[in-house]
Amino acid sequence: MAVESLDLEVETGTILGFLGPNGAGKTTVIRMLSTILRPDAGWFAVAGVPHDHPAKIRRRVGVLPESAGYPPGQTGEEWLSFHAELFGRPRDDARATARRLLAEVGLAERGGSLISGYSRGMRQRLGIARALINDPQVVFLDEPTLGLDPMGQLQVLDLMTRIAHEHGVTVVLSTHLLAEVEQACDQVLILNHGRIVAQGTVAEVARRAAAPRRGLVKVPPELRSRAVDVLAAAEVEAVAGDGDRWGELVLTMPAGVAADTAASLTLSRLLEAGVPVLGFALEGGRLSDTFLTVTEDS
Amino acid sequence: MAAVGARPVSLGRRAWIVVAERELRDLWLAGRGLPLLLAYAVLLSVTSYLVAANQALNFLEQREAVALTLQVAVAVGALLVLLGAADSVSGERERGTLESLLLSPAPRRALIIGKAVAALSLWAAAWAVSIPYIWYLGRGVGVVGVAVASSLAVGSLLALFLAGYGLLISTIVGSNRLSLSVSLFALLALYAPTQMPTAVQNSGIGELLLRVDPFTAGLRYLGNLIISGHSPSQDARWLIGPVVTAVVTVTVALTVADRLTLTGGDQA
Repeated sequence: MAVESLDLEVETGTILGFLGPNGAGKTTVIRMLSTILRPDAGWFAVAGVPHDHPAKIRRRVGVLPESAGYPPGQTGEEWLSFHAELFGRPRDDARATARRLLAEVGLAERGGSLISGYSRGMRQRLGIARALINDPQVVFLDEPTLGLDPMGQLQVLDLMTRIAHEHGVTVVLSTHLLAEVEQACDQVLILNHGRIVAQGTVAEVARRAAAPRRGLVKVPPELRSRAVDVLAAAEVEAVAGDGDRWGELVLTMPAGVAADTAASLTLSRLLEAGVPVLGFALEGGRLSDTFLTVTEDS
Repeated sequence: MAAVGARPVSLGRRAWIVVAERELRDLWLAGRGLPLLLAYAVLLSVTSYLVAANQALNFLEQREAVALTLQVAVAVGALLVLLGAADSVSGERERGTLESLLLSPAPRRALIIGKAVAALSLWAAAWAVSIPYIWYLGRGVGVVGVAVASSLAVGSLLALFLAGYGLLISTIVGSNRLSLSVSLFALLALYAPTQMPTAVQNSGIGELLLRVDPFTAGLRYLGNLIISGHSPSQDARWLIGPVVTAVVTVTVALTVADRLTLTGGDQA
C-alpha cells in the first residue's frame, strides 16, 4: 500500500508544496488524483468532480508527470497540437493554442524544432505547456526541476509561479527543493510512508515541527555554571562551549515547545536568575528542519 | 474552485481519428513503416524470382507459382501488422509517453483504435506492393483478379486478427520486448498445424485444427482458389476460422483497452 489514510483539502488558487522523501507516495497520490491510478478504497474530488468521473477530472487537470517521455521525432508544436486535439479542440484552435503556450513557456523560437534537439529544461517547459493545454483548474507538477541545473530550476519555478498567478489555477508542486517551496508555496504538505505527517502554511509547518530543537546563548563566562543550573531546572539542556566559545552554551530545547515559547522561557529564566544574556539565537525554524524531523525514520 | 474550463469533445475531431493520424504520420514519415515495406518488397522480389525460375524449369505450375507467392505475401504482410500492433502500447510505456496520452480525456478504446488503424495500414501497403508481383506471375492464366481480391479478403482477416492480438498483448504486458516476443511466439505456434504428419492432418482432430488455425485455414483457402480453381464460395468454410478469430481478438482487445493502465497488468 503506497498511500494510506490521506485526508487533504486544497483551496482554489493555492500553490501547495507537496514534499516527502523518495518513496513517500507523492507520485502515487498525483497519479490517483489525476485518475491514472485507481485507489483501492476511499473518495476524492478534484475541481469539484468526484473520482468516479475520471474523464471529467482529466478535463479539469493538467499534469507534468515525473518521468515524462517526449516523442523525439515530433516538433514541440506538433506534439502540443496533438494533445490539444485530444482535448477536443478543432485543429486550427489546437495549433493556435500550441503556439500561445509555447510562447508562454519561452519556447516560441523552438516550437518548430524536433523535440530530440531540446535540452532537459526545454522539455520540462514543454511538459508544463502540455499540462496547460486544456486550461486546467488544477495543475500537478511532479518533480518539475528534477535534473535541471540551478538556472533551469529557477526558470521552471518562475514559470510555475507565473502560471499560478496569471491563470488563477491551483498548483500542486511535488519537489525536493525546500527553499523554493518556502518561497513560492502558500501551503505545504509533507508525506511519509504514504501518510500526511505535516500540513499547513509554510510558516505553520516550519514553526510547529522544526523548532525549537537547538539554540545558542552567550553569557558572561564567570556565570556559565549558574546559567547551566538555571536552564536545567527549566528542562533546557545546556552544554558549555570551549576555547573561543568560552561563554557560550549550546541549548537543547524541550520537545513539543514552540520556538517563541522556548526563546522566552530561556531568556526569562536566565534574567530572573540574574544572568545577563549577551547573545541568543535559536537554530531551526525552517521548513528543512521540519522535513528532516518528520521524515527522520525514512 | 474556479469555473470549469473544459470544452466539449464534439468541437474537434473524434479522438481515434486524431490518434490514428498521429500514429500514421509517425509510422510512415518518421518511423519503421517505409523500411519494413522495403524489406517486404525485397522478400517478394526474391520469392517471385525463385518461383519464376522454378516455373521456367517446369518444377512449378504457373498457378502454383502465383499461390505460393500470394501465401508469402499475405503471411508476411500480416506479420508486419503484428509487429506494429505489439509495439504500439508497450512501446509508449517504455518511451514514457503513455502517461501523457492517458491524461487526456479521450476514451482508452479510442487510443487503441487509432493505433490499430496505423498497424493495419502496414497490411494495406503490403497488399498494394504485392499486386505487381501477382500480376507478373499470374498473367495469361486468368487468376490475377481472383488472386488480388482473395488476398485482400484473407489478408485483411489475418491482419485484423493479428492487430487485435498484438494490441491485446501490448496492452497487458509492461515491457515492449516481452510484448514482441510473446506475439511472435504465438505467430510461430499458428504455423504448427502445417507441420503435423499428413495422417494426422487428415484425421478429424487434424482437420479441425487446420480449420480453427486462422493462418493455415486462410492460406489453404487461397491455395484452393488459385491452384484448384475453386469458386470463392466453394471453400468458404475455410474462412470461418479466420473470421471468428478476427472478431474474437478484436473484441477482446477493445474490451481490455478500457482497462489500459500505465504499467500494464490489472492494477487500475
